[in-house]
Amino acid sequence: MDGVHDMGGMHGFGPVPIEVDEPVYHEPWEGRVAAITRRMVANSTVDRFRYTIEQMPPAEYLDSRYYERWLWAAERLADEPDIIEGMAAPPTPPPAGEPASAPRFAPGQRVRVGNPVTASHTRVPRYIRTREGTVVSRSSVWPHPTESAATGRYGAMEQVYTVAFDGRDLFGPAADHVVVVDVWERDLEEAS
Amino acid sequence: MTQLTPEQRAEVLERHLHEHGHIDPDGIDDAVSARERGDGPSPALGASIVARAWTDPEFKARLLADGTATVSELARQTVPISVLEDTPECHHVIVCTLCSCYPGGVLGDPPTWYKSFEYRSRVVREPRAVLAEFGMDVDERVELRVVDSTSEQRYLVLPLRPEGTDGWTVEQLAALVTRDSMIGTGRPLAP
Repeated sequence: MDGVHDMGGMHGFGPVPIEVDEPVYHEPWEGRVAAITRRMVANSTVDRFRYTIEQMPPAEYLDSRYYERWLWAAERLADEPDIIEGMAAPPTPPPAGEPASAPRFAPGQRVRVGNPVTASHTRVPRYIRTREGTVVSRSSVWPHPTESAATGRYGAMEQVYTVAFDGRDLFGPAADHVVVVDVWERDLEEAS
Repeated sequence: MTQLTPEQRAEVLERHLHEHGHIDPDGIDDAVSARERGDGPSPALGASIVARAWTDPEFKARLLADGTATVSELARQTVPISVLEDTPECHHVIVCTLCSCYPGGVLGDPPTWYKSFEYRSRVVREPRAVLAEFGMDVDERVELRVVDSTSEQRYLVLPLRPEGTDGWTVEQLAALVTRDSMIGTGRPLAP
């Protein structure tokens, strides 16, 4: 989804707030919400948790601290019967295995990122959509996040590629760096 | 509900889950304490991996070729991890622009700045300006590679070994490895 969470490349934010020697949690409730949320997700998918946070109205998202966003999501997941029932069960092991189909792309190949803009969850950030890059490696194998977010279960294993983009293709001629992004196979096509 | 503070809302949520038998508050206490004590992964684990890679070529080769298997020998990993080697010609910096993905299985919880809107929005567009805010001046001849953690694979930077550390032990070297140097927003300490 095209949400405010998709922040890569946005203008207007100021200096990075660097805190020296910060505590793990700044207030006691943060740790409790974090622990509760981890239990909620242990028998679902982290994608579903992320997608829930992404439903926050943009103004509220921008006005909230990190664990306030977790709290907002946990309050909503607490109304989901399968989440609640899963909290007491042993955690589901992480998905594993080979991709369900043979990898389509190889290192060195030029690829174009698709434009999978729907209201569903996607891990394709806005700043690389429709842009071309070069496959660096077949980086990992993992179920596709759109399905994982929608169903709360991990589906078929899919090849993920690490793709390198010339910063100038993403952010204009002043850029002098490379941006490297992981993209699932179905979100890539061969560059023409 | 909208007028409650986050602390009050968290109490309402926990009480509700407890009353319905979904959580045990003692278990939540234990989970919080373990995090605060740093029982799990912490930058010390990452530092020990980096220092060993600096001194043990065979380990380093395995670490770079198969980060997940090699790191898993030292600490349980629930997601894949890849180690990115800095060279004199190339410096890596990691980010998660979409949320807060971080190599927690090696470094523990991320610092607040890593999760900030400022870091997430800016480091992919203007990494040199962001690194300057961390006190890092990266020579313009050095290629900067900003790695956005969009998949479940996590990234750890293997920084350059500081000069003047020939003959140092793994323990001595590990003391130079900072958390930020394994994210790419800092360098190891000078000897």
